Amino acid sequence: MLTRFFLMGLDKKAGVLLTVLAVLAVAVPVMALGTAPDSPWHISTHTVALLGKYLCFALLALSLDLVWGFVGILSLGHAAFFTLGGYAMGMYLMRQIGSRGMYGNADLPDFMVFLNWTELPWYWHGFDQFWFAAIMVMLVPGLLAFAFGWFAFRSRVTGVYLSIITQALTFALMLAFFRNDMGFGGNNGLTDFKEILGFDIQAASTRVGLFVATVVALAAGYILASAVVASKLGKVLIAVRDAESRVRFLGYETDRYKLFAWTLSACMAGVAGALYVPQVGIINPSEFSPASSIEAVIWVAVGGRGTLAGPVLGAVLVNFGKSYFTAALPEFWLFALGGLFVLVTLFLPKGILGLAAQLRDRLPARATVTAKPADQKGV
Amino acid sequence: MSTEDTLLYLDGVSVSFDGFRALNSLSLVIEPGEMRAIIGPNGAGKTTMMDVITGKTRPDTGTILFEGRTDLTSLREPAIANLGIGRKFQRPTVFEMHTVWDNLELSLKAPRRPLKTLTYSATREDRARIEEILDITRLSPRRDRPAGSLSHGEKQWLEIGMLLAQDPKLLLVDEPVAGMTDAETEQTAHLLKDIAGKHSVIVVEHDMVFVRELGVKVTVLHEGSVLAEGSLDTVSANKQVIDVYLGR
Amino acid sequence: MHRAFCWLLAAFLALAAPASFAADLAPLVRGLGAGSYAETEKAIAGLAETGDPAVVPVIEALQAGDLHVRKADGAVVVAKRAGNGYALTDPLTGAALGEADRNAVEKIRINNALRRTISATLGALTLMSPDAGTRRQAAEAVFKSRDANALDALNTALAKETDERVRRAMTQARASVLLAGEAPDADKIAAVAVLQERGDQDARALLNGAANTGSDAVKDAAMKAIASVEQRLALWGAAQNLWYGLSLGSVLLLAAIGLAVTFGVMGVINMAHGEMVMIGAYATFLVQEAFRQWAPGLFDFSILVALPVAFLVSGAVGVAIERSVIRWLYGRPLETLLATWGLSLALQQAVRSIFGPTNREVGAPSWMSGAFELGGLTITYGRLWIVVFAFLVFGALLVALRKTWFGLSIRAVTQNRSMANAMGIRTARVDALTFGLGSGIAGLAGVALSQIDNVSPNLGQGYIIDSFMVVVFGGVGNLWGTLVGALALGGVNKFLEPYAGAVLGKILVLIFIILFIQRRPRGLFALKGRAVEA
Repeated sequence: MLTRFFLMGLDKKAGVLLTVLAVLAVAVPVMALGTAPDSPWHISTHTVALLGKYLCFALLALSLDLVWGFVGILSLGHAAFFTLGGYAMGMYLMRQIGSRGMYGNADLPDFMVFLNWTELPWYWHGFDQFWFAAIMVMLVPGLLAFAFGWFAFRSRVTGVYLSIITQALTFALMLAFFRNDMGFGGNNGLTDFKEILGFDIQAASTRVGLFVATVVALAAGYILASAVVASKLGKVLIAVRDAESRVRFLGYETDRYKLFAWTLSACMAGVAGALYVPQVGIINPSEFSPASSIEAVIWVAVGGRGTLAGPVLGAVLVNFGKSYFTAALPEFWLFALGGLFVLVTLFLPKGILGLAAQLRDRLPARATVTAKPADQKGV
Repeated sequence: MSTEDTLLYLDGVSVSFDGFRALNSLSLVIEPGEMRAIIGPNGAGKTTMMDVITGKTRPDTGTILFEGRTDLTSLREPAIANLGIGRKFQRPTVFEMHTVWDNLELSLKAPRRPLKTLTYSATREDRARIEEILDITRLSPRRDRPAGSLSHGEKQWLEIGMLLAQDPKLLLVDEPVAGMTDAETEQTAHLLKDIAGKHSVIVVEHDMVFVRELGVKVTVLHEGSVLAEGSLDTVSANKQVIDVYLGR
Repeated sequence: MHRAFCWLLAAFLALAAPASFAADLAPLVRGLGAGSYAETEKAIAGLAETGDPAVVPVIEALQAGDLHVRKADGAVVVAKRAGNGYALTDPLTGAALGEADRNAVEKIRINNALRRTISATLGALTLMSPDAGTRRQAAEAVFKSRDANALDALNTALAKETDERVRRAMTQARASVLLAGEAPDADKIAAVAVLQERGDQDARALLNGAANTGSDAVKDAAMKAIASVEQRLALWGAAQNLWYGLSLGSVLLLAAIGLAVTFGVMGVINMAHGEMVMIGAYATFLVQEAFRQWAPGLFDFSILVALPVAFLVSGAVGVAIERSVIRWLYGRPLETLLATWGLSLALQQAVRSIFGPTNREVGAPSWMSGAFELGGLTITYGRLWIVVFAFLVFGALLVALRKTWFGLSIRAVTQNRSMANAMGIRTARVDALTFGLGSGIAGLAGVALSQIDNVSPNLGQGYIIDSFMVVVFGGVGNLWGTLVGALALGGVNKFLEPYAGAVLGKILVLIFIILFIQRRPRGLFALKGRAVEA
């Protein structure tokens, strides 16, 4: 029953994507650990971490697409869920430092010692256990999303209004986390991690392990999202996106459906953030900035919203471009990113995968149904 | 007749938008199994009346009772729909991205809670019912087409099919034959008359030929309240009705 | 013998000649270097008798320990360290007298008794100054120093004083001295009353002192006075907050009002709105550079020239954006949001490439510098002008939308596009001009913001979220809503700040708006009815 549920959403695109992920999960460890450093097949731990970062972003993009592409909620605040997940993981990693910090305090992270705190704040308790942190990674973003969505969807805040208040949400969180007395390290955030689950976080093997974990998480997220989208619930979500009031007159409490997708999406974003933090080695409040949320939106738009493979593709492509340009032509990157926003919205409203589907449809005159997102109504 | 026996009971319902009175102390009674045609000039409050019954608009004053006991004015749209009130819109509103089959499956009477729909898979009876509706609405050949690709008339029929799938006690049908050919109009009239045996129906329509075809009691709305009620012939003879609506 | 003669002469002159004979001061000054403390004190007294303001710098130099006697001729000079020796100047005229070896001069020493005399004399001298402003300052100085030695001088000065404000300052100074020093209870209680009248922070501090040390009667009076002063201070504090709130509100209004046009009237989400503000600020910078280059004398007018320039530049950029991007996206607000966000990134980078990433210096004209006091309020001219300017812009926009043909066209297109088109209104042109108008107003905001914020490529980023909050809070499509929204948010923000701190205050405001929108999704001044549903 459960297997059938998870398999029902898988189509050809999913097959391709999952195969690529499986190949990555095998090839990258072999190339990183099993080859000599001077071999042409060797990839450095730095590259492994970079790839891992891209895949974390891909998972974030996937979660964003679940609400934007399939329910029509353009969230400009998904960075909030991503970063909260990241902080939950970061808190675990901070606790693992133990007495190896600069001040050698076994109970308090360095920044708390620096602030002359004498006691661990209550909300830091439990984060020394991995299982606890792992739950919080999903629970905290999930609860925030649930509370926010419960109010917003009940009051029928939609369209750009919703987008703007999601932006305000992440902005408020950013301001809050910048404050030292919040107890999350203020400006500097959480960093200088040593170990995860007892493994040295800098070691090549740990990096590879984290990468494989990210691949698995992305694949799992993809399969879950496919199953949800293919279920009758997914059909209701698409119907909400295209004609919400009609769905209400059919007797569906659309608020609850939106809340379900929204909360699920936030949990996925939280997992992405949690995997991101040990691979980049730091989490700080600037990750909350509205700009990062909007950047995630463009990944989805480039790949093709309303398809699940699109956001994954888009996130990897755009971030690869970002890594390349910010190193080679730093001045050029913002022009390129800005131009991408304009060009995609004007000329590629369905993204790369949408374009591919259009081109394919044009050859044989057979109508295949691609989930084309309709325009959000109402200002 | 007591209110207990009515299916729908509206009493003194008023709605105003920024000073404009869309409904002005409207009172209306629909009995179980009854079909009623509502006519009236533009701005008479026909669509607003449907909005008020289905929970889209809250009335400023007045009572709306369903089956003589449930107060509709305090309920939200989905709750009202689940009581058994279905609605077809003036402009056909179907889910254009979904196939005809999926449109019907979404409308089919079934648990509406998210977790139920997440694990839902169509039973044999469900599939049989959808096939049946596809036959009635003559959409069987189109079952796998996206609803957005249907013609205007087909969309009207699909929406009626969606109403059938919902299996409501009361159907509110807003201009079902707008943009249909004469033959289609006639078929639609037959279809609605078939439905009326088991369900109550309120039809809002401009097309007098169609209303005559239905041959049911007619209510004339004007400026948000009832101007006249009776058979089409009776109201057609009413001087006031002629003045405001039918013309000379 | 020689010195004694001089002193006699000086005394004689002091008695015989009143203040007018500045030249005759020289011998008196020479007397300062006579030798013993007693003689110096006499000389100071003599100088004080003259009541001549020219004496003040001399005594100040004495107080600072800069006054020396030149051993060669016994002349009293101001000597300041320069290299190994001293640079000498004449204490009265300030004329340079060359340099001297360290051993060639001898410092005129003063003891504590003398120090008191000096400050009293200084106080008294300035209290007698012919200039009312100086007298008032002197009184304030005494008020702060609470120097009992100044009491006699104060009494004398008070007796002669005619200027009402100076009198008040002197009375307060006298009260301060009395309260701090030894005085009969009756005098102290009278002083308490005077200080209560003054009612500021300083008065409260003095009264606090009295409440702790005085006799029971004085304590009682002081306690009552403190209560009254604190009430009054709270009132002024509230007024000051109100002013800050109004000031912040007017900044928000300026930033948001252009957005109210593009978002509220046209339904277009312009995420590049902040960059229009930023462009306006850079236009101001360029205009000022031009003035610095070619007409530095007219610098005070540069802001006035910058206003139309910024309006036109930002407006032109806005029209270009509308024609090239936004017109393809009407009816798709979320896509518009993304595209304009992309534009904002590109515009920021463009400005960064051209002008560099650092802040640019934009100066304030003289009529916008400085501050004035209004009761217990301190108001800077810059802020005042921005408040005035914000309301002027608001009023002008209101009139433009209500009374001009262009405004009529905008409203027609907003309400029914196809009907407006059928009536012969060129809707495409109206769209472009409306967007240009909104952007141009953002440019005007940029001129104002260049006066109070750093002109950098990130200038606009700081305002975009706040501006959206204002428009959404106030209610879309309603300029009055924007006004009320801006002032309310500005006010709430500033009233929260003292209790919660700036950052937390801002967070609370954001949370408040998030909750508010959920209560009233269409803002404070919402349109109702069927038109909204469409």
